[in-house]
Amino acid sequence: MSPQLARAVNMGGAAAPRFSPEAAKAAGLRLVRPVRSRARKAPFVVVVMTVLSIGLVGLIVMSTVLQAQSFEAQKLNSQAAELETQQQLLTREVDKLQSPANVARRAIAYGMVPNTNPAFLRLSDAKVLGKPEAAKPGNTNIRSVTP
Amino acid sequence: MSASKTVSRRRLRVCLAMIVGVFSVFGVRLFQIQGLDASAYAAQAIADGTNKSTVPAPRGDILDRNGAELATSVDGMTLTADPKMTSADAPQIARILRQELGSRIDYFDTIDKLRTPDSRFVYLIRDVPAWTGKKALTAIAKANLTGVFSEKETLRTYPGGKLAANLLGYVNGTGKGVAGIEQEYNKTLTGTDGASTYEVDPNTGVRIPMADSTVTAMVPGRDVTTTIDRDLQWYADQRLADAVRESSSDWGLAITMDTKTCQIVQMSQAPTFNADDGTGMADSNTVSRAVQNVYEPGSVMKTVTMAALADQGKIASDTPIVVPSGMDIDGFHIGDYWEHGTIHLTAAGVIAKSSNLGTIVASQQMSNTTMYNYFRRFGFGQMSGVNLPGESDGILKNGKDWTKANHATIAFGQGVSVTALQMVRAVGAIANAGKMCEPSVVSSTTGADGKQVKIPAAPSKRVVSKDAAATVTRMMEAVTAPDGTAPAAAIKGYRVAGKTGTAWRVDPATGRYIRGQNTVSFMGFAPADNPRFLTYIVLDKPYSNAGGGSTAGPVFHDIMSMALERFGVAPTGSKSPKVAQTW
Repeated sequence: MSPQLARAVNMGGAAAPRFSPEAAKAAGLRLVRPVRSRARKAPFVVVVMTVLSIGLVGLIVMSTVLQAQSFEAQKLNSQAAELETQQQLLTREVDKLQSPANVARRAIAYGMVPNTNPAFLRLSDAKVLGKPEAAKPGNTNIRSVTP
Repeated sequence: MSASKTVSRRRLRVCLAMIVGVFSVFGVRLFQIQGLDASAYAAQAIADGTNKSTVPAPRGDILDRNGAELATSVDGMTLTADPKMTSADAPQIARILRQELGSRIDYFDTIDKLRTPDSRFVYLIRDVPAWTGKKALTAIAKANLTGVFSEKETLRTYPGGKLAANLLGYVNGTGKGVAGIEQEYNKTLTGTDGASTYEVDPNTGVRIPMADSTVTAMVPGRDVTTTIDRDLQWYADQRLADAVRESSSDWGLAITMDTKTCQIVQMSQAPTFNADDGTGMADSNTVSRAVQNVYEPGSVMKTVTMAALADQGKIASDTPIVVPSGMDIDGFHIGDYWEHGTIHLTAAGVIAKSSNLGTIVASQQMSNTTMYNYFRRFGFGQMSGVNLPGESDGILKNGKDWTKANHATIAFGQGVSVTALQMVRAVGAIANAGKMCEPSVVSSTTGADGKQVKIPAAPSKRVVSKDAAATVTRMMEAVTAPDGTAPAAAIKGYRVAGKTGTAWRVDPATGRYIRGQNTVSFMGFAPADNPRFLTYIVLDKPYSNAGGGSTAGPVFHDIMSMALERFGVAPTGSKSPKVAQTW
């Protein structure tokens, strides 16, 4: 440290001499203008605010959407259960209509009778296997269907 | 001035004391909640905020051989009520329930239940299909009535109603199989319940998105595929039920088995029950008679006696037998069902005419031990291996303890008790050229992943030679001939081998035979020269003069015809050899 500067620095020291521009000048010090940053503050603030608000709004939107979807999911779940019940009911109705008892009942109502004597027609040589017999009403073993 | 200063100071103190007091109370309460009961409150908060639920595994279906559903599960409901809320409107609620649920519910009973005093919970009806239950609840809500609630459950249904009921069995109130295939394959049919836990909003119960959740996967029960043909089963059920009614029998059985594979394609019982709507659930209907009911088979057993003799080379279909007019053995008089003097029948004639005396004469060529051993080989006194619950062994006394009368009567099927399935297995061996297999009713199980696991058939074993089986088959063909005991069992165009049975019934109380009470039966297979199906009909205690050929024979004819037709078994076209019945 140069002696002059040491003196200048010591100015506020124990001796507490008054500030004198001459002494400063002698020490090579001078007043300078405050440094002004070249970057402007406004864009930075805008960016930060934007990011924050986008994040906040996004969070709110996402949370709302998820919540809404959760309600929707629950609604759809109960709807699925409802439809499953309905499907079971319809399957059951189809099963009942397809059941041998129902088919037989309707066939008998149409005047059809079960075959009493099995016979086959062999397509390769058009030969009749077995002794075919016409199934006639009265010539049958099942006349009605017991429910 | 100084007096007002004193008043305000006192007021200040009082206020301070009050504030201190209030905050002390808050502090103590805070300490209690946070310090002492903290874990309890935390647990309650978690409980309020999480939803635990079991995911019930659906029970597997029972299917017929073509995949048609014989038993399946649907969503069910139990309706409950809070009598405190319903007692005032009981008649209106009961009327709506009766309208929606029909005969499942009794109007007056329901009113009583809805008015149960000092109760806040009653069951109104269990096991209703969800669609019916929901309809009833909607109707109640529409009428602005309250106090009826529902609980979810799984409901077992049988789309065929009574179809194959005794074979399928049923489930109890907790969904566990307690009879038939439902019981035997209960473990396979029952899956493993899953569980799920997730966080919910304590107020709305709505699931919180992306919050913690744990799920234990549910494993559905496996489907069981039976060997039953649904349509044939229905036909047999119907035909048998008609026969039981017409002959006023106590009960009847009809079993059809594929003789090549020993798969049961139809197993009917009448009277039976309907597990779908819960009617006819008496023990006498729900018992599976094919495996649980023992009875004396009568003359059908003669085929087994003849097979044993033929296997030893001691008889052929034309072996001459002198049949006396009667026999007295150990003080018992044994005769034939028709009066005759001494007659000359061939072995085929003995079977065709079903002569007890002829059978005794022929069987005298075997010692007790030999005959007993043959009967054991034919599976009597041992379970049939069909894998159905509650199966009986039947009763076959050890050959060492046989009296002369035992030897004589067992030869024609009295003094020996069997199950119908044992009888089917034994004669099945004759149809299957002397090789006996174990009857089966289930062919495979299928998981939810669609992977099928076949259930292997037990290996068949030879019980008599091929020639012996052929000899007995020829004798049995004479039974369905026009001069045999069961011409009604013949199927035009086919060669049918068969045997009638008319056995005396044993009174279970006294162990004695009851005069005039019989168990009539018919066992037969076709085509006789290349057997594919065997059908056995049993009618217990029909009207007194019913015989195996005349009563069970026509039922056999119809069910067998249907089996041959459904499975496309064409007649072989060969002619039955003429076998002399007399000499």
